[in-house]
Formats: sequence, structure tokens, C-alpha cells
Amino acid sequence: MNGNRMKTALIRIFLGVTILLLAGYGESPAAIPRVTRMVLNENQMTVLFAEQHTLPFVTFNLLIDAGAWRDPEGKGGLANLAAEAILLGTKDRDFDAINRELDFLGAELSTECGRDFVTVTLRVLKKNLDQGLALFFDVLFNPAFPPEQVERKLREIEAGVRSLQDQPEEVAERNFIQALFRENPYGHPVEGTTESLARIAPEDAARFYRETWQPGNAVLAVVGDLTQEELESAVLSRMRKWPSGKIAEKRFKTIFVESPEPVRVDRPISQATVILGHPGIERSHPDYYAVSVMNQVLGGGGFTSRLMKEIRVKRGLAYATVSFFVPGKFPGSFQILLQTKNSTATEAIRIALDEMRKMKTAPPTDPEIETAKNYLIGSFPMRFDTQAELSEVLVQVEYYGLGLDYFEKYPDYIRAIDRQAVHRAAEKYLMPDRVISSIVADMGKTDLGK
Amino acid sequence: MPVSGYIKAFIIFLFLALPASAPGAELFTDVTETRLENGLKLILLENHTAPVITFQVWYHAGARREAWGKTGLAHVFEHMMFKGTKNYSGEEFTRIIQSNGGNYNAFTAHDFAGYYENLGADRVEIAIELEADRMRNVVMQPDEFKTEVNVVMEERRTRVDDDPRGYLHEQVRAVAFQAQPYHWPIIGWINDLERLTVEDARAYYDTYYSPANAFVVAVGDFRTDEIIRKIDRHFGKIASGKSPPVLHYRDPPQTGERRVDVNAFAELPSVLIGYHVPNLHDPDAYVLEVIAAVLSAGKSSRLYRNLVLERLALSASAQNPLLSVDPDLFYLSAEPLPGKTPEQVEAALDRETARLRNEAVDGEELQRAKNQLETGFIYGQDSMFYQGMLLAYHEIADKWQRIRDYIPAIRKVTAEDVRRVANAYLRPEQRTVGFLRPKAANAGDGRPAGTPAGGEEAK
Repeated sequence: MNGNRMKTALIRIFLGVTILLLAGYGESPAAIPRVTRMVLNENQMTVLFAEQHTLPFVTFNLLIDAGAWRDPEGKGGLANLAAEAILLGTKDRDFDAINRELDFLGAELSTECGRDFVTVTLRVLKKNLDQGLALFFDVLFNPAFPPEQVERKLREIEAGVRSLQDQPEEVAERNFIQALFRENPYGHPVEGTTESLARIAPEDAARFYRETWQPGNAVLAVVGDLTQEELESAVLSRMRKWPSGKIAEKRFKTIFVESPEPVRVDRPISQATVILGHPGIERSHPDYYAVSVMNQVLGGGGFTSRLMKEIRVKRGLAYATVSFFVPGKFPGSFQILLQTKNSTATEAIRIALDEMRKMKTAPPTDPEIETAKNYLIGSFPMRFDTQAELSEVLVQVEYYGLGLDYFEKYPDYIRAIDRQAVHRAAEKYLMPDRVISSIVADMGKTDLGK
Repeated sequence: MPVSGYIKAFIIFLFLALPASAPGAELFTDVTETRLENGLKLILLENHTAPVITFQVWYHAGARREAWGKTGLAHVFEHMMFKGTKNYSGEEFTRIIQSNGGNYNAFTAHDFAGYYENLGADRVEIAIELEADRMRNVVMQPDEFKTEVNVVMEERRTRVDDDPRGYLHEQVRAVAFQAQPYHWPIIGWINDLERLTVEDARAYYDTYYSPANAFVVAVGDFRTDEIIRKIDRHFGKIASGKSPPVLHYRDPPQTGERRVDVNAFAELPSVLIGYHVPNLHDPDAYVLEVIAAVLSAGKSSRLYRNLVLERLALSASAQNPLLSVDPDLFYLSAEPLPGKTPEQVEAALDRETARLRNEAVDGEELQRAKNQLETGFIYGQDSMFYQGMLLAYHEIADKWQRIRDYIPAIRKVTAEDVRRVANAYLRPEQRTVGFLRPKAANAGDGRPAGTPAGGEEAK
């Protein structure tokens, strides 16, 4: 419902964090999913399978390294369009036929494009497995990219981008990443901008699909009510026939702006939305776990985190305040997000920056570090206690190269982070003097910009 | 899924977090219901798919209990439940749960306030003890109360004042409901919030927070007899307390359409139409579930085909309020695409309701809608938390056993039912139509839909 758009947007941010943290894992061996990993000889595609018969359905999650970072220069939003467009019609089925069939089965087939990768997910009742998979493979292998439909989708995305303008935190986020990353492939929003979308033609989507949607680029996770034999006959036999082609080459240049200008948007609203941030790290970085624990203390841990205590609990300045790292395949960002009435924006920003500095001058204490570590380890089983979550975590474990023993080793990775490691992480990865601020507010009612 | 849509739409969380997906079926045959000696009802469902438990305490203490002039109290008080008791400070409460790998949150709606912890199965007694403690022992300081009211005012700015669609929603409800407490927002009117005092909160706590006015829901990896013993150990010693009767309110029948315009700074307009409809106390409510699915479940649905594919709207949806204490509104909502007006979108929505009233829905289409409702219900089994929510929602609205009626009631719906029910409720004279009309930042007048937003500058 509409009243929730703000919440939804922030949730997306929260989720982004939880997904990337892939947080700790439980003590109980029963909680560790049994996963089989296979690499198909025919096309080098990786498949992960977790057999579970407690629920009468199956979840498929296909990850393809074809996210927005691969957008051609100036055509931001193309990867996202391609992901949407495969659902618009195939050589044998038009849009209407696909959706009538899906809806009749009660099957859910969708695609989602992120910064790094695209996912195609299918959830289908075991009894409808064959029909559900037929649709899944049809859209994956035979998308027709009907020009009129793709054109319509493009206009829809464009309108969606305009609609996002009504959410201050979306505006602040888009401005922030653009200011931080500039020409870096992470520097444009996944959906693109009004300007970049105008440069995209429907046939670009088909070309992008051909050049990047390749089995050698893909990871499939299958979780649910299926046996190994059924997996082979219903899924792998068809995946093996996905021909591998040459994956278009793409370089990632990490460029961060050194002394960026603050970005401000003035509009007549009652609350200032503030993002304070700077460069972060990549997911495979060895300091990732130290950074996770450190950020939990700063602003990732809800009411036990310092930002929440200082800004919300003590002073009542904000409902939401949080900090997070967004580590991708490539170095991402660190951000603090807060929302406070215009007249207290300056005060809240000052406190947030102070808290960043205090992470160095009054570094996390042993009790703070223990709480953070215990939370990360103890809450891990709840990060994938559903089919949907497990399938999502599995493809990411593979994509980010964490290894299948990650599920057993995560608690040790976190336990190994001692006080010195947390302090080093605060010292090295929090840069209060390099912060870029992106603010949407009624500027005249704040004392910012003076 | 309409049910989950409902859940997301009408509750306010203590802080931003995500409830899970949709509902679950045959599984609910194994629910145990029992009561402690002090009257606290327990609703327990073993589910051994993962070594975790969701432990939830629900109070018949939502915004419907508030007095006029003191709106927002139920929700502000819910925030105070995190401020500490005579045994544990607020900080200790959250630290204990987090140190044990647990997640927690709380939410308030018109009909209830709910609190939960999700945590490892071997840690559940920690949640039980903390929830029992704060059922009676919360200590509230005036200065902390004031601070928390400020937090809620910030929450209101985010959700309503600076969210044009949140504001439209608040306005439509305020116009649609006259006698029912659904008239006022859960988060409260801003000057009511200014008026609230710690004494109000204390009186509210004493009246509504007790075993007699609450129930517990637990779903997860436990043995029923064991968890009952644990719950009794901590909650059993609490005095029963009062059980203030839940008053049922009824709006007078609406005899003519009402309209409300909201002029706000926004990029795109929005349309929200609410029809007065019955809830699960009337079998027609399940027909309305099917109607909502025919209209907007999946991309083969009527609203998607006729509004989104026809390039009238960016999105369009129908939502049925099956689970509520008093009858609520069936919503049609849509966001016009740039260049399209709210009037055009309203006309398209009207064509759809007219079609439902005048033409029988065809067999394949009806089956498709029912199949989606049913599979949605089954997919909901993926989340224990959601199963707990669903049990509690049915218990609040009537009794948890009603959850078992869902699939049979959906299966029974015929094309004739759809036409009859559409004629009974989806009528212009019992609806409220709300338009969000974007206005430019620096101009007092509404600018036409689809023109670029003014008044914005990036520096």
C-alpha cells in the first residue's frame, strides 16, 4: 500500500545490507543446509542443490553476471531493461500466453536486476513442476524481445523513475552514488535515468542479452521438494543444452571522487533526508568481517548501535538512522542514512559525524564487540530458513566465491575478529573527513548551505 | 496476495524492518490452544523445518482503544515497551536479545499491538522471560516519554507528511469512516501527539496490558508441552488483570459517493478508491478475496491488462480487508502514467467494477484467480513468522481456527457469487474516491498531471 513506500524503500536498504552481510551461522549442525555443487561439463555452468521435502514446492534462483555494472557507457538502465524484457514474450508464447499459464499454475516467475547481477526466480508447486519449468526455460532461452512490448516497458521504467522522485531517500541515494562513483560502473542507478533511458532502443536489450546472458556467467540454485534424479531429468538435462558463447568483455575501473561537493535538493517537505558516505570495500576483501562487526557497533545493530542511541534514543531526532557498507563484486560505498525535521538536520549530521570519529577516539568496547559478534553468529540461521532466502544466499555464496564451507566457517570468521581488528577497521574504513553528503530538504528551514 | 497486502498496509512497526511473505494451509490442523490459569491464551504450532522459533505476544490494544483528542497513544505506548522495566533497562533488553542472535520488533494497528522475537530454538526462554517481564513491569519516565513522542513525530513526517501517497491514504480513511475508529490514523494527528502525557501512557498500560487482554503465538522448533511449561514459568505468576470488552463500531450506511482531493508536492498523481465491505464475519468477504485476485493477482489480471498494458497506469491494484475487527475498505488504487489524469484512470477502474457487476467472470479466469490465492497460501508456509502473524490476525478478527476456512471458502466461490457480491458492494454510492494532485513546489495551484515538477534544484 502506498503509505508504505518510504518503509519499502528503506527496507530495501536494510535488506541490501543483510544480504551482503550473509551474517553468522548457528551452532546447531542441523541448521547447516546440505548442498550439492555441480559444474556442468557442457557449458561450465554451476548448479547448487538443496533437497528439502518439508514443503510441497520448489524454488529456482538463477544468477547471471549481467547486472547494471555491465551497462554500456551512456546507456544506464539497459541491463535492467533486458532482465524485464525476457518476460515479455518468446518465440512460441506472447506476453498474454506466458502470464495466463503462470497465473493458472499459481507459479511465480520474475527477474530482478541489481548492480552486480541479475536473478531469474521461479517458485512452483511440485505437482506443476514440468509446466512451470517449461515457462522458465522458454523465457530464458527463447526471449523474442517484441519491439512494441519492449518499448512499452521502457516507457514504464521511465515513469517509474519519475515516481521515485517522490521518495526523498531515493533521490538522496541516486544523487549520492552519482557523486561518489561518477564514471565508475556503479555510478548510475540500476533503472537508469530519464536521460540514459532516452538513449536506449528496444533492440539494445536483445543485444545485451545475447552478449551477457551466458551459462559460463551463471549460477543456478535449486531448493525444495525435488530429488537428485528429478533435478537431472527436469532441470540439468535442459541446462546442459544452453550453448556457451563469448561473454562480452567489460572492465571495471574503480574511481572515487576525491573531494566531492555536497549534493542538495531543495523541496517543500517537513523532513531532511540525509546520506553521509564515502568509498567502501568489495565483498571478497579480507577485512570484510572486521568491517561487519565494526559497522554493527556504529549503526548496523538497531538499538544497540551508537547512532541509534545518540540520535534516536537520547535525543528523539529521528525515527530511522542506520549505517551500512554496500560491498559488491567491486568496491562499493559506506553510508549513514538519517531522516530528521529540517530544523534539526545540522545537529543530527554533526552527531553522526562525531560518532564516526568516536569510533576511532573511543573505539568499540569489549561488550559492544561481543554483542555484535554474538548477534552476527547467532542470527545467521534465520537468514536462510526459507526456500526463498536459502536459494538467494546460495547463488551469492558462489558468485562472491565464498566457498560452500562458508556455512560452517562463518562463525569462525566472526569469532576471529578481535578488538584490534575492529579498531583497525574503524581506523581504516571510516573516513569522516572524506564524507560526501547528499541531502533532500526544505533548505530554507535548515541552517545548511551557509 | 491480498492478505499479506493487508498486513503490510495497516500496521506501523517500532522501527523499519520487514515482515515475511504470504499464508499457509493443511499445517494449521496441528495448532494447540490452551490457557494458563491467569487466563493468558496460548496458540502454539510446532514446525520443525528449521531450528528457530517465532515468539509473539499480542494485545487487544490498538488505536481503536484511544480517546478522541489522544490519538496515537497506542502506538507511542508500544514504543515505550522498549524503554525498560524495573528488572531490565531498555538497553539491556535489546542487548540480551541481540547477543542471543535474536531479531525483535513490534507493531501497532487499529485492532491490536503485537511484539515478537525470532530466535534460535534453544534460546526461546529468553524471549519468554523478557516478554513476561514487560507485560507488567515497564517503567516510564516523563522525559523519555517526550523524547519518544518526538521520534514518533519524525516517523509521522516520513510516513505521512512527506509521503504524498501516505497522506492520501490517511485522508481517504478520514473521509470514509465517520463512526468507526478507523477514521483516525494509527500514528495519530500531530496535535494529539503534542498533547500526550506519560500519565496517559501509564493509564493505558494498566488498562490493556495483562494476561486477560493478551494472547501468545509461538511457531517453530519446540515441543508443545515443554514450551507451555516455559511460558507458564514466566507468565503464570502475573495477575490476570482486566479484559476490557472490545466494542464493535459500525459506520452508518453510506448513501452517496464521497470525494477527497489531496494537493501535494509530487511527481505523479495517484488514485485511491475505498468501498465499504464486510470482513470475515460475512461469507461474502471470501468472494471479495476472489474479486481482488481477478482484478490484480498476476500479470494476467484485469487491472494489469487494462490499465498497465494499455498505458494508462504505472501500477494498479485491488486489496481486500478480510481480517479486521470492524468492516473495512476494499481498495482500488493506481498511479496514472505521465500524461494521464486521475479522471482517466478512475474511468478505467469504473469500467472494471461495472464489468464485474454486469458480466459473469469466465470459468478459466475464475479458476486462475482461485489457484493463485491457494498457492499463495501454500507458499506462505515458507515463513514461520508469517504463520504466526496469520494465526494472530485471525484470532484478533475472530478466532484463529478461522484460518482453516480460507481454502474451502475460496474454492466454493462461483461466477454468480462474484457478480452478486460486486453488485452488493462495489457501488459508487458506498465509496470514497481520493485523488492525489501534484502541485508545484512554489505555486499554490495544482499543476496538470504529467507536466514536469518545478521548484527543485540540485546544488
